[in-house]
Amino acid sequence: MGPSASRRAVLAGAAASAMLPFLRVPGARAATPGMLTFGLSSFPPSIQPWANTGTAAATVKLMIYRGLTSYAPDGSLRGELADSWDRVGATGWEFRLRDARFQNGEKVTSADVKWTIEQIAGERSTAYFRAEMQGVERVETPDDRTVRIIMKNPVATLPVWMASYHLPIISRNSPRGSFVGAGPFMLKAQERGVSLELEPFSGFHRAGLPKLKGIRAVAYADENLRVAALRSGDVDLIEYVPWQAMDAIAADQSLKLDTVDGAFMFLVFNGSRPPFNDARVRRAVAHAIKRDELVRAAFFGRGSPLMQLPIAESSPFYNPEYREGWKYDPDLSKRLLAEAGHANGLSCSLLSTAQYGMHKDTAEVVQQHLAAVGIRAELNLPDWATRVAIGNRGQYEMAVMGTAADSNDPDGIANFVDGSLAPSYVRSYGLKIDRITELLAAGRAEFDQAKRRDIYRQMEGVAIEQAPMVGLTWRSQGYAMRRQVTGFRNLPGALTFYSGLTFETTDVA
Amino acid sequence: MLAYAARRLAVSVALVWVVASLVFLVIHLIPGDPAELLLSQGGIAPDPAAVEELRERLGLNQPLWTQYVAYMGGLLKGDFGLSLQDEHPIADEIALRLPRTLELVGMAGAISVAFGVPLGMVAALRAGGPLDRALSAWASFALSVPVFVVGTLAILVLAQELRLVSAGGYVPFARDPVRHVALLLVPAGTIAFGLGAVVFRVMRSSVLEVLEREHVRAAQARGVSPAAIIRRHVVRNALTPVVTVVALHLGTLLGGTVLVEFVFNWPGLSGYLVRAVEARDYPEVMGIVLVISSLFVLLNFVVDMLYAVIDPRVRHG
Repeated sequence: MGPSASRRAVLAGAAASAMLPFLRVPGARAATPGMLTFGLSSFPPSIQPWANTGTAAATVKLMIYRGLTSYAPDGSLRGELADSWDRVGATGWEFRLRDARFQNGEKVTSADVKWTIEQIAGERSTAYFRAEMQGVERVETPDDRTVRIIMKNPVATLPVWMASYHLPIISRNSPRGSFVGAGPFMLKAQERGVSLELEPFSGFHRAGLPKLKGIRAVAYADENLRVAALRSGDVDLIEYVPWQAMDAIAADQSLKLDTVDGAFMFLVFNGSRPPFNDARVRRAVAHAIKRDELVRAAFFGRGSPLMQLPIAESSPFYNPEYREGWKYDPDLSKRLLAEAGHANGLSCSLLSTAQYGMHKDTAEVVQQHLAAVGIRAELNLPDWATRVAIGNRGQYEMAVMGTAADSNDPDGIANFVDGSLAPSYVRSYGLKIDRITELLAAGRAEFDQAKRRDIYRQMEGVAIEQAPMVGLTWRSQGYAMRRQVTGFRNLPGALTFYSGLTFETTDVA
Repeated sequence: MLAYAARRLAVSVALVWVVASLVFLVIHLIPGDPAELLLSQGGIAPDPAAVEELRERLGLNQPLWTQYVAYMGGLLKGDFGLSLQDEHPIADEIALRLPRTLELVGMAGAISVAFGVPLGMVAALRAGGPLDRALSAWASFALSVPVFVVGTLAILVLAQELRLVSAGGYVPFARDPVRHVALLLVPAGTIAFGLGAVVFRVMRSSVLEVLEREHVRAAQARGVSPAAIIRRHVVRNALTPVVTVVALHLGTLLGGTVLVEFVFNWPGLSGYLVRAVEARDYPEVMGIVLVISSLFVLLNFVVDMLYAVIDPRVRHG
């Protein structure tokens, strides 16, 4: 057979293949001064202002909406649409509004604040702060710039609630089905599931801000692709930097890495039935885990052990005396098991999810450490949706969880330790410890800082003994960016997911 | 012929109905509540009253059969419904994403054929030689490497190290045709890496089989030039099984490009389906699966009709 035709085909094929890598993609690079391309970890399912639809959505919400208060880059509470606030009477707070405007050009008034609270507390509301806002007795609006929020009970943390990205103030004249906010950027366009385009709001209340000419937020669900997009120059800034990539990014001269220990991993229990309805068994679990190993194995060393309640060391409410409250002590663990009638160990299930690597890896390491003290845990690793359903119904014995607190205030961890709240996958099931509920309520109603510190110290003491949850590790939460990006800051501690506030001061050269 | 076509059409419609009903039942049977999920993202506990309110608003508190009747009624009117997550019309989203997946699959098929067919022919014509052995070894390697490994390596080398292409993403053709094609080529090439090896193998064995046929031997005996024999007698006959195999693989790829879409951030139908399942967005899952299965059923119907045209015994059998 003559090979001529074949040879031509081979040559043509080889030539075509050789050309592929030389197809440089025009405009693939992110480097356009003033225009920031931001790699999101997922596309927000919704940017409805008052619903909790995840941290990616929260970051976008912080670009578009603003509340009465917010956080400065150092994490301190600052005025936002309100420039000052004070207590009024036994249960009220008065906020004085600054001269701010919504993105439709209208002034932000006390009537808008009242309308916002009414919408959140409303009968058909699905807002995250619905229950809290139903604790509002009335809202008074003596003038356009003054609003008084009178609660049914004293609430020391109301100014902190008002800083939440789930509690922005929305114009009462927003068209039906849409929400006009007062944030530094306006949503210009979006392609569902792919990207959002934002442009600066020229009437933003902080003079000279925002600095950027625009933001393009592109969803990269694959964490490795998100890093590749940053390193190849497709994006300027990424969130949720995977732990395994942090060292390489930190070593790259063209990039910057900004991490804080803000989110944390912990264990919750089914306290409605044996064996975990016994505090001794829960403490046995707490003392069986080598947290240093966990940080190394699950988070590539990017984190730190958590042997007490998740209150950051930088917080005035941090209690150093409980620093090693649940330290690794296998002998104590075995002793506690024996006291609880499990001298020969016990078998149980350990719920986590295979959908998120950090949850799965944590569960696998915990399983090994528990085995060493005689607790034989069988892993159950469904997808996240199933894990949430199983957790809410209490169809488990012990489970791995990971999240961040609502705020740096100790009341921000109430969700994880207050068993009097409705059943939820984020806290132990059927495990109500009255003393903790009482102390949390007392802390919320106390306005004197010294007394609050004392109340939360007592609460942590009870928690260490009763172990309604067991802290495992703080985990680094990181943003990475090109050197040319300035003004963006990862906020400290539990506020890491509020870092989107600093988009107003961000610029890119 | 008309009666045969009518019979096949009726079977196809019934199949689509069965698939729609099965998908409806299965997605409702697996654990996970969309209302609960929608309000509990970020690891924070939602207000139970808010969850109940959302369930009522989304109609999830209705009995299953009521939801089934409403869904089927909507389908008969060509209405796929609204997403539970943001009330976006599902038909619009499918109409947007289906062409992207078809484009990705089509381009992958074209690349596979473009290099699989000539290489398969060369290998067959030089069967047993060093080139054949080298190409066969490459095909074995290409078939054994998972698609996400190929994709990840492509990103590492082409995007991160050489910085020749973007690390992934999508730009509409209307906005920037050149960049659109450039972004399409790497994921399509990733699928084609394995698919091309399949085409290569089928083509090689098919050519070897055709070369042994009597009409080829007769042509050789008549002194017809080797190039003419290949062109007139071998290629056309050898391509028939290649077309069948490629068609089958492309059909499978319609719902099976999940990994490639994920690795390259290509916003097609497969990735949309995965996210819909994760969010337990029942109408989205049902709409996407229905469209994919309808395309399969349609493909089968067309193939049945073609068989009947080619071989009349089929329609009487």
